[in-house]
Amino acid sequence: MAETAAAELVTVSVDDRMVQVAPGTLVWDACEKAGVFVPVYCAHKKLEPVAVCRMCLVEVEGVPKLQPACATRVAPNMVIRTATEQVRKFRDGNLEFLLVNHPLDCPVCDRGGECDLQDFTQRYGPGRSRTSITEKVHFDKAIPLSDKIYLDQERCILCWRCVRYYEEITGEREIVLQERGVHTVVDTFERRPLQSQFQGNLPEICPVGALTHAKYRFRARPWDLRRTASVCSHCSFGCNIFVDAREDQVARYASNDNPEVDDSWLCDRGRYSFPEMNRSGRVSTPEARVGGVRQPVSHREAIERACGGLLRVRSEYGPEAMGVIGSARLTNEEAFALQWLARDVIRTKNLDHRLGKLDKLAPEDFALSIAEIEECDAVVVLGEKPEAAAPVLTLRLFKAEQKRRRKVSRVAVDSDPASLAGQLPANGRIGVVVHQQDVAVARKLRAELTTSTRQVQVLSILDQVNERGCQDLGLLPEWLPGYRPAPAGGMGTREMLQAATSGKLRALVLIDPWAELEAEPGFREAVANVDLAVVLAAWPGVATSEADVILPGRTLVEKAGTVTNTEGRVQRIRPGVEPKLAFPPDLRSIVELGRGMGGDFGSQPLAGPVFKRLAESVPAYSGTQGGLRAIWRAGI
Amino acid sequence: MSAPVAVWGESLELPCPVGGEGGGVAEASSSGVALSGSTLARIREMEAKYPSSRSAVLPALWAVQDELGYLPPWTIEVVAGELKLLPGDVEAVASFYSMYFNHKPGRHVVQVCRNVSCGLRGSDELLGHLQRALGLDAEGNTPDGAFTIEGTVECLGACGGAPMMQVDRYSYENLTPQTALEVLEKIRAEMPAGTGSK
Amino acid sequence: MSDLVLTRHQGAPGLTALAGYEQVGGYRSLRRAIEMGPEAIAAEVKASGLRGRGGAAFPTATKWSFLPKDSFPRYLCVNADESEPGCFKDRVLMEEYPHQLLEGVLIAAFALQVNHAFIYIRGEYRSQRELLERAVQEARQAGYGGPNVLGSGWDCELMVHGGAGAYICGEETALLDSLEGRRGQPRLKPPFPAVKGLYGQPTVVNNVETLSNLPFIVAEGGARYAALGTEASPGTRLFCVSGHVERPGTFEVPMGKTTFRDLLEMAGGVWRGRQFKAMQPGGGSMQILGPQHLDLPLDFKAVADAGSSLGAGALVIMDDSTCLVNVAMRLVDFYRHESCGKCVPCREGTYFESELMHRLEAGLATKAELTNLADICANMDGRCFCPLGDTATWFVMSAYRMFPEEFESHCGAGRCPVREPLAVAV
Repeated sequence: MAETAAAELVTVSVDDRMVQVAPGTLVWDACEKAGVFVPVYCAHKKLEPVAVCRMCLVEVEGVPKLQPACATRVAPNMVIRTATEQVRKFRDGNLEFLLVNHPLDCPVCDRGGECDLQDFTQRYGPGRSRTSITEKVHFDKAIPLSDKIYLDQERCILCWRCVRYYEEITGEREIVLQERGVHTVVDTFERRPLQSQFQGNLPEICPVGALTHAKYRFRARPWDLRRTASVCSHCSFGCNIFVDAREDQVARYASNDNPEVDDSWLCDRGRYSFPEMNRSGRVSTPEARVGGVRQPVSHREAIERACGGLLRVRSEYGPEAMGVIGSARLTNEEAFALQWLARDVIRTKNLDHRLGKLDKLAPEDFALSIAEIEECDAVVVLGEKPEAAAPVLTLRLFKAEQKRRRKVSRVAVDSDPASLAGQLPANGRIGVVVHQQDVAVARKLRAELTTSTRQVQVLSILDQVNERGCQDLGLLPEWLPGYRPAPAGGMGTREMLQAATSGKLRALVLIDPWAELEAEPGFREAVANVDLAVVLAAWPGVATSEADVILPGRTLVEKAGTVTNTEGRVQRIRPGVEPKLAFPPDLRSIVELGRGMGGDFGSQPLAGPVFKRLAESVPAYSGTQGGLRAIWRAGI
Repeated sequence: MSAPVAVWGESLELPCPVGGEGGGVAEASSSGVALSGSTLARIREMEAKYPSSRSAVLPALWAVQDELGYLPPWTIEVVAGELKLLPGDVEAVASFYSMYFNHKPGRHVVQVCRNVSCGLRGSDELLGHLQRALGLDAEGNTPDGAFTIEGTVECLGACGGAPMMQVDRYSYENLTPQTALEVLEKIRAEMPAGTGSK
Repeated sequence: MSDLVLTRHQGAPGLTALAGYEQVGGYRSLRRAIEMGPEAIAAEVKASGLRGRGGAAFPTATKWSFLPKDSFPRYLCVNADESEPGCFKDRVLMEEYPHQLLEGVLIAAFALQVNHAFIYIRGEYRSQRELLERAVQEARQAGYGGPNVLGSGWDCELMVHGGAGAYICGEETALLDSLEGRRGQPRLKPPFPAVKGLYGQPTVVNNVETLSNLPFIVAEGGARYAALGTEASPGTRLFCVSGHVERPGTFEVPMGKTTFRDLLEMAGGVWRGRQFKAMQPGGGSMQILGPQHLDLPLDFKAVADAGSSLGAGALVIMDDSTCLVNVAMRLVDFYRHESCGKCVPCREGTYFESELMHRLEAGLATKAELTNLADICANMDGRCFCPLGDTATWFVMSAYRMFPEEFESHCGAGRCPVREPLAVAV
């Protein structure tokens, strides 16, 4: 909500508590502000009010009928009462209505334990049934609407949230209302399968068990789950999630509204990526070559052997014969520690976290934030790559277009800037959304479109969850933390692999080798060819099979730390599941490698202190706690 | 009840069956998978007439039902395509209104009003008589497919002639069970099978 | 001059055709209206005291005045979705006086500076729709509609839009959604149609009978129209009398000066020499009135004070053989069938209510269920999204209050204790 001066606020009373709210505030929001809970089914913070469930009817003094809190706007000095006998009686009666044709199949319903119908019935509803009607209206149950979503029409209370979601949030209108009266159902046309890439939001907005996740079907009850707020690791957008874990398994990801980032929506790719975290066959024990034969050792011994080997290679061949490759899935703290290990301890310039070379970067490439897309007078999306890389971006663009009436143009990457200029407003703020691979095009566009009355801002979309953080923190041959230029001559990933194969590089430290890296031609030969390969990984792969020292790694749902999303927002990830085996976190393993080689990290190997240290080193990161953006300005 | 059977509409000499407007003959088209050119033309004409093309949904569905007697799913897709909507948008509308059929009804749709005014003057007896005399199945169809008889309809706005029934577009008022049956038998005799949906 | 307005040309030949209507002075009021200008028309309508004839009786001139100035385009929608049980006056006005309606529509459209007027007619009125379409065609060809009406420079397209079977579309915002090609479900208000109606533009929705009065009001002046009735209930109204009477039909009578008994007598009195038991004025939504109310004048306030309403101008008479539980059950079934399903108390409440009414009428319900029925109705009335669900309880509850013994006598009786069993079950 925009800040409103106190003088413009109106005062209303909710159950005798006075609150000040902006004019035009919904009674429902005013009640919330007053700390008064009003039950709702149809109302949803992200959807327009429809007032169909009637659950939120409250008394407004001077108005004869009860009023829907979700759709009524406050007036100055309005007196709202939510706890009167009239309201209580209607809530009870309305719940009775909802249960008349409800199948009451809670024992086999996935929603049991977190169902608003159950909860409100318990809290406000009738204690017993007084209906003598034996035959309920029956509908279809357990309809697979896709491989992701099941629909149970009998459990549906027709709040229309799914229909409105498809209308207002995605615009795809896949689920519609059919028939009428007591026979009304939600369904797809001719039961055609859902195609949307945002289906996973449906069970979340459904207040009951009508829409459920195929992947969560009969898996757990909410009281079995441990909920941890974290960040989705599937792309660079940084959507906020809850990791709901049952013992050491992730049972599901749930959205955790961050209006600046995801606006409470997840894409299916991210939401349903959790089974990969549960994959068995993990690297379960440290290993090292003892007398030429690799065998399980203690973590301490693995570190000692790695450090001994690294020191030996350095004294024999010098630091430039050594290379460090991290990944864009490391936390900021790990990335910072790893670049310390490479630069300050090993003293090599060969350091990277990606396969391809980065073109030069400029602060202007990252000026626009995700939420500011809605504030732009016009938005230009260059090609299909941005939305393919970060699907939730599509919903933000739709919101800008539909709710905020912004002009959104999707154009080919090679569009002619001059002809584009003519289609855009001459004044105001223009947003350009581009994949980082095509950032040069955006720069050119920015140069051509900027006038004294027209401001052009770029949002670059990256691929990996912490690609932005790894860049910011200098896990690159070209840059030190904070984009200070690094001394020339450092090798990037591919150069290091070639050098390893040719014998020029004699030692490699591989932290979290990712699938594309392992699939890179010549990767196995390179790792096999060096004198010493130290690999930290969660799952065995090419790198571990050729490694001389193996350290068990953690997945992103087992780590604590921060990651930086594509717009520079620094967000915390938290361990949602405990790793089955006790071994130190990746951050500690990295720091211990440095210490074992005689380095002084200057901080405990814990996320908090390390973040403090990196924020001192990279001023843009100071003040980002609480999920703020690291604004990269020139000269920092 | 001595009042004569008043057949409203006949005296106005309305142009008879609509299905044939412009030449599209219902039976010919319903066997294929395409709507007749005249139906499509009607849809496009309606689309152009309204300030917003979506307003043409109801008229377009009428045009289809006039041709085929009902709205099979493929026609929903055709209408959606013509009006630049999704099939679901059109299905949501078609299924809402009670006069659109998703199954092929009898050649004549008979609506027996049973609301208050007709109920007070014997509509239940009338409907019961028709059901028994015509040997209706569970969906209200006569075995020969001549009639679909509906007993759950809105008040048909002819309370002055209660009890009444509406056969397709015509009202038959001041009925007795016997006169109602006579009317239907007359219609059946005049419009044997295969002569059109209206 | 007679005291009739709507039916003053009754019996004139060929009225359904343009020529016949012009013979009785048709479309002269439109010419006059165009000469008068929008403000003068609105002033006459205000002077006439005309109130909406669709059921809510809202003053027409006031409704018109809600249109924001300088906001165009704006639309006029004519509510010809007549479907209130017991009402058939709009049907008569369309069947017998279609051009009178069109002239009224054009006068209103001109007064409101509308270039597009829609007549939304219920789907069941198929032949009436086609009749109106022909009348529109005739009027257009004669220069009363279409571009540059009567050389005034004002364009007015008239369109007849057929519904497809949905009582709820008589509710003005549901009508607008239906006209926009959506499910006919009522909209959240505010915004009201006057501000944001059809296609999001300012819109007036008026009933057929309301607009059919305009040619007279323009021709004879609002004051003359008002004087036909009383000060509180000006003008005349077309009442539909049906049920247990000898000669059911429509009767145009002055408001306020006529009583229910007068109407009953016009319709030949209670049929078959039977006794009057009860009546339902206004249509299926309205509360029951008893013998003690027969001498009430047809006056908005008098009927409201008696606990009912003149509604849409219906009057259903019930004789002493009538089972009121059966009548109530019929009405509740109707609302169950016509509930749009949008809000919970109406969608589930009408179902619950109807199931209980069936048990009651069959003599299966217990006394406790009858008490529950009253409670369920209380949980619906005033709690629904639109009046449909609210009014689904009015007749039942008013009848129960007026004839409690009759309802109670059904409890546990095993059959309806009032009606003779049907020869054939339906």
